[in-house]
Amino acid sequence: MLVDTSYPPPSLDGFNSPAHAAEGTPKPVHGRSLAAVALRQGSLAVFIGVLVYFSFAAPFFLSIGNIGNVLGQSAIAGVLAIGLTVVIIAGGSNVVTGGIDLSLAANMGLSAAVYASLVQAGYGDGLAVAGALGTGLLIGAVNAAAITLAGIVPLLATLAVMNIVAGLELVLTQNTVVPAATDFLSALSAAGPFGIPVLAFVLLGFTALAAGVVQYTPLGLRLYAVGEFPEAARAAGLRVKLFITGAFLASGLCGGFAGILSVSYLSGSTTGAGDMLLPVVVTALLGSVFSRRLLPTIGGTLLATLFVSFLINGFQLLNISSTLVSGVQGLLILLVVSATTLLQRKGNQ
Amino acid sequence: MSDEFEGGVNRRNLLKLTAVVGAAAGAGLLSSRPASAEEELSLKGKRIGISTAGTDHFFDLQAYNAQIEEVKRLGGEPIAVDAGRNDGKLVSQLQTLIAQKPDAIVQLLGTVSVIDPWLKKARDAGIPVLTIDVGTTNSINNSTSDNWAIGKDLALQLVSDIGGEGNIVVFNGFYGVTPCAIRYDQLVNVIKYFPKIQIIQPELRDVIPNTVQDAFTQITAILNKYPEKGSIKAIWSAWDIPQLGATQALAAAGRTEIRTYGVDGSPEVLQLVADANSPASGNVAQQPAELGRTAIRNVARHLAGAQLPRETYVPALLANKTNVGEISKKLGIG
Repeated sequence: MLVDTSYPPPSLDGFNSPAHAAEGTPKPVHGRSLAAVALRQGSLAVFIGVLVYFSFAAPFFLSIGNIGNVLGQSAIAGVLAIGLTVVIIAGGSNVVTGGIDLSLAANMGLSAAVYASLVQAGYGDGLAVAGALGTGLLIGAVNAAAITLAGIVPLLATLAVMNIVAGLELVLTQNTVVPAATDFLSALSAAGPFGIPVLAFVLLGFTALAAGVVQYTPLGLRLYAVGEFPEAARAAGLRVKLFITGAFLASGLCGGFAGILSVSYLSGSTTGAGDMLLPVVVTALLGSVFSRRLLPTIGGTLLATLFVSFLINGFQLLNISSTLVSGVQGLLILLVVSATTLLQRKGNQ
Repeated sequence: MSDEFEGGVNRRNLLKLTAVVGAAAGAGLLSSRPASAEEELSLKGKRIGISTAGTDHFFDLQAYNAQIEEVKRLGGEPIAVDAGRNDGKLVSQLQTLIAQKPDAIVQLLGTVSVIDPWLKKARDAGIPVLTIDVGTTNSINNSTSDNWAIGKDLALQLVSDIGGEGNIVVFNGFYGVTPCAIRYDQLVNVIKYFPKIQIIQPELRDVIPNTVQDAFTQITAILNKYPEKGSIKAIWSAWDIPQLGATQALAAAGRTEIRTYGVDGSPEVLQLVADANSPASGNVAQQPAELGRTAIRNVARHLAGAQLPRETYVPALLANKTNVGEISKKLGIG
């Protein structure tokens, strides 16, 4: 399924020629797909199990208000994770050599800072929105240039860009909180119909839009093709670099959009955007266990985002220390990555 | 005669003694009256939301834990959430807390512009909001140290130590946090009348996290810029974690003639103040645990129908090179 050229699967029989191993053989094995189904069903079962447990232990958990709150609280991380998912789809899901965008959280921070600073300087929401989205897009373009033109591995390219962006945010905000209050921002952070936060609807709408494009259009299918088997995609006439550029632009735009949401949620731009990076990476990686063939998908990423948010929320409702959440998150990612890695090895044999 | 006299004296003494004992008992009764009123405070059956910006500093941790213990001592159930210095997490936790409809919420620290809209939402939802060290109109009562006094005491100590003249370096990264702003303004107010004291521009920005390392780096850089002894007299910060980094940087660079000042009474900084060779010269120690307990008792008073003042002040203690031992003892550290 996944072309893993840098890490040839260990061949037990020893008959694999190096060329054969390098080519990779994405040949579906019956046992593997069974195991994949088991993992996927298992993950869903765990998710549902956790929800059921919380509903019994904390009756308030299942109320519309609480679910709406959790959806709203997931909006920023969700939008970022969706951006990252697009990059992972286009670049392949090998954590080291595949698609990754480490600059996303910093991007959100800088875009939020740009938005808040523009509002502070007396400009309207229209210009501030354009400023934030433009910032995000620009960061995406720098990433894309570093990767497609200079040929740097995404992990390193986006790491470098992350530092530049975080530095720019420091310069712009002097590492202080820049408050911003406008009618548009208050409307975005207010409660909408049924007392559910507007941010919850924003997340659902954005997910639907992204899922529509990525999962149901020829464009999305080509994106998967580019990520999973670049050589084949190139042979089929797809312009691989163009798709990778597009993916980084899309992820940059997601960063800018998340920045706007963050300004509304936190009534301004605040420090510490970098803290979002690991949870977002975890979420995007976790997302693939919710997909049928263990692939990164937009829907899977949404489920993973909600799973993590429901965990945090449930822990608070049960009065369990929230410090445990990061431990649980770490444990989950370890389990998921080991399970998928093992399955992929088995599949490649 | 002498016996009689002695006996008389003894009797009189005895009388006096009983009188004294009686008076003491009376005084005891009198003084125990407010104490027994305190014991009548109860949070039985009440759920109290306790939200903090973080617990990574001595101050926060002491205040946070003291609140939880005080709620339990008064028979209530604490719902305590710690945002780990992440504003997004802080807001999410407040949002969920509001939805849980506790009998009251106590917010400890936090940037006002970030939390205020949510404190207002809590108030609009009919939940009484009390705060510790947060200046907002959405709080019924704010338990705080008298930051005007803290700022003034620290500034006067600094001015007197450096003889009323010289350059000072100031960390001013958290002017958005009310107590820090007040302390900074007080410094400016005091040195206004000592025209020979100059704040070196630009002011430094202290950061969270990595406060100590960052302060160390920034001070090392500024020492290189001002290499002559005497070109900098003192370093001031609104809390004492930057002071810690600054003090370490001075020691590392051998510039121990420069003095450092800060606020909060973190044990490691008080130890430095106690060290005769250390540049750490002044630290105003707040009583964080007492602040936490005061806020919770105020919650109980409010829920019992009492009228609360806007602010409840808990005294702070200035520790300098001469009295630091005594102050540490009072705070129960060292």
